[in-house]
Amino acid sequence: MNHDEHDGPRRIANRVLATLLVASLAGAVLLPFAAMAPNRLVSGESVSLLTALRPWQTLGLAALAGALALACLVRPLGERRGARLTLVAAPLALLLTLYGLGDYAQRALTDASPAARVSQGAAFWVLVFCTSLMIVDAFQRLGSSLWLRSGYGLLLVAAVAALFATGTFNALSILREYFNIEDAFVDQFVTHLTLVGLALAPTLAIGLPLGLLAHRRPATRGVLFSVLNVFQTIPSIALFALLVAPLSALGDAVPWLGALGVAGIGAAPAILALILYSLLPIVRNTQAGFAGVDPATREAARGMGMTRQQILWRVEVPLALPVILSGLRIVTVQAIGLTVVAALIGAGGLGAFIFQGLGQYAIDLVLLGAVPTIALAVIADFLMQILVAVSRPAGAR
Amino acid sequence: MIELQGLTKTYGDKTVVSDISLRVERGEFSVLIGPSGCGKSTTLRMINRLIPLTSGRILLGDEDVTRLPAEQLRRRIGYAIQSIGLFPHWTVADNIAVVPNLLKWPSARIASRVDELLDLFHLDAGEFRDKYPHQLSGGQAQRVGVARALAADPEVLLMDEPFGAVDPLTREVLQNEMRRVHEQTGTTVIFVTHDMDEALKLASRIALLDAGRLVQYDRPIELLTAPAEAFVSDFIGKADLGLKLLSRRWVHQYQQAATTSGDAPHHWETDAQGHPTCLHGGRPTADVPPRVAVTDDWTATPGMTMKEALSRMVWYRVGVLPVIDDAGRLIGEVTLEGVMGRQP
Ligand SMILES: Nc1ncnc2c1ncn2[C@@H]1O[C@H](COP(=O)(O)OP(=O)(O)OP(=O)(O)O)[C@@H](O)[C@H]1O
Ligand SMILES: [Mg+2]
Repeated sequence: MNHDEHDGPRRIANRVLATLLVASLAGAVLLPFAAMAPNRLVSGESVSLLTALRPWQTLGLAALAGALALACLVRPLGERRGARLTLVAAPLALLLTLYGLGDYAQRALTDASPAARVSQGAAFWVLVFCTSLMIVDAFQRLGSSLWLRSGYGLLLVAAVAALFATGTFNALSILREYFNIEDAFVDQFVTHLTLVGLALAPTLAIGLPLGLLAHRRPATRGVLFSVLNVFQTIPSIALFALLVAPLSALGDAVPWLGALGVAGIGAAPAILALILYSLLPIVRNTQAGFAGVDPATREAARGMGMTRQQILWRVEVPLALPVILSGLRIVTVQAIGLTVVAALIGAGGLGAFIFQGLGQYAIDLVLLGAVPTIALAVIADFLMQILVAVSRPAGAR
Repeated sequence: MIELQGLTKTYGDKTVVSDISLRVERGEFSVLIGPSGCGKSTTLRMINRLIPLTSGRILLGDEDVTRLPAEQLRRRIGYAIQSIGLFPHWTVADNIAVVPNLLKWPSARIASRVDELLDLFHLDAGEFRDKYPHQLSGGQAQRVGVARALAADPEVLLMDEPFGAVDPLTREVLQNEMRRVHEQTGTTVIFVTHDMDEALKLASRIALLDAGRLVQYDRPIELLTAPAEAFVSDFIGKADLGLKLLSRRWVHQYQQAATTSGDAPHHWETDAQGHPTCLHGGRPTADVPPRVAVTDDWTATPGMTMKEALSRMVWYRVGVLPVIDDAGRLIGEVTLEGVMGRQP
């Protein structure tokens, strides 16, 4: 795959891995791995990887780095076996990095004051980021099936969850922050998911029929798509803000709507904005899904004597489903991200922590909002990928 | 039996099909032919009302079906098209079972019907039943397409250039198969093509269309020997009229008793089972040996067209071919003199 344009024999089989490895090594050596602060509000002093980790942990990481270096090379392993080695070494490096940080925090805090805090540094993020990318890259090179990837991902998630469950990270500043606001966190997490769900359900209810309409009546496409496109181009904050005035007017004017929670601030404008953003991908993919059905198939279905409804449900929908679900995948991930912004107009959700943390210069609070959002988006994306794969007709799989 | 009465289709002020009336008897193989754009597909698609009629009537048996709900009508009429249109998300068995399913046949009957049809098209049921369309070759897919159209024993089978998109070799095989299937099932067929050779090979009646008008509807031989107007002979092409005629003649019509006695100008040697082994004489030129061994390729069978038999004579430079039965035994002969000595 990688063609070496220079003269001479090719040594490196996987340049992506090599680059990521160099980046992680440089990050690990040059950047602070953790920070130790006397209390929550001051930024602490940096601690390097070498001082933070126990010797066996450092040696372990070095050995894994050696294995990954071997995995880059043309000889003796080559690209495919190198990728398999990466799938073993990279997750181990990732888990060791996580464990090392938690372990360091526990040791550092045993003799410190209760207000003292240990937080993760840039080198930690570089290592987590680079090892994750190594795994993704290795899977791409191997062209592994979605099932294999799912199983592997599940195993990795379980390993990280086990680290959490055994209290490895409890001494870390971010976890202490979490314990402070545990109840609020659960609430906002649920609110976040609820907002996404409340936006996606009507999006599907409106978008699927509109997509079918756009397919059956080509004349409607121009207007429909340009209107939906307009919403896509309005920046999210602006759209949230634009909805405040009309919705508060509506909530005041129609009392029962007001009683239902329609107001300028809160969930109503957030959900409405999310719907407006989500409609275009759903409508467009639905239309594209139906358009992708071979006209000969439709002609045959008609010629056999299927009714319109039978053609729709037995032929067109099953064949269009993978494309429609791809649209839903885009929209779900997008909505999880956009809901963060909804916190600005009082809708709640994980964004609340981010903005609160930004206001207080409390980075841990920001992360407490951001990291779960990212994790949620990644997991939703993965689940939707599986759904798309399952929905693909057996004959086309 | 199906009868079209004054079938007409206009788009705006453009008449695409103009007052076509024809009657296809039960079990007949009727071919609609004509230049591109003459209205063949439109006519066919009006029969199962994929295109609404502007005017005219359609009788199926003695029943006027012009007003019957389209879906009901279509379930009684088979439909096979060039692009096949198999349902890609269903297995071969599910594809074939579409109309029986719509008609709510019991599942055991459907399953046995599917196997029966796969059998009819020489597709191994065990192997093909659970395959998906994308796993089939073009020829296999088209067989499944026709099997699907025949699944519920339709009163008439409509086919729109079904073999137009396959390679010439497969096309030939499929045509032969179609003839066999038609003989075995006795289904009434209306078949659209623009290939005269295909029409001559399959048709028991040919309807020649030109610019939406029915020019002549007749048996193939009448079309060749008694064209209704100049357009007919122009369309058929005068250059190989003789060969076209022979493509509608069968070896059994020209077959004579084979000579095996040594004093005839030519005679056959046979082995103990009666298979022809050698021909003595019978070659028009002197530069070939007087006694030649019979090979598989220069034999004829009663069901072969005379066009093919003649082609073999020309190719092997013999004036006579042995006619053999299914077991390969000599049952007669066809000769060049025999071809020439008869009004085609
Ligand atoms: N929806 C339509 N509107 C207007 N004219 C049409 C329409 N459909 C078909 N036609 C015209 O009707 C005529 C007959 O079309 P048809 O498809 O029946 O031809 P055909 O004989 O099947 O030709 P081919 O051998 O190329 O398939 C053509 O001239 C075509 O342009
Ligand atoms: Mg046509």
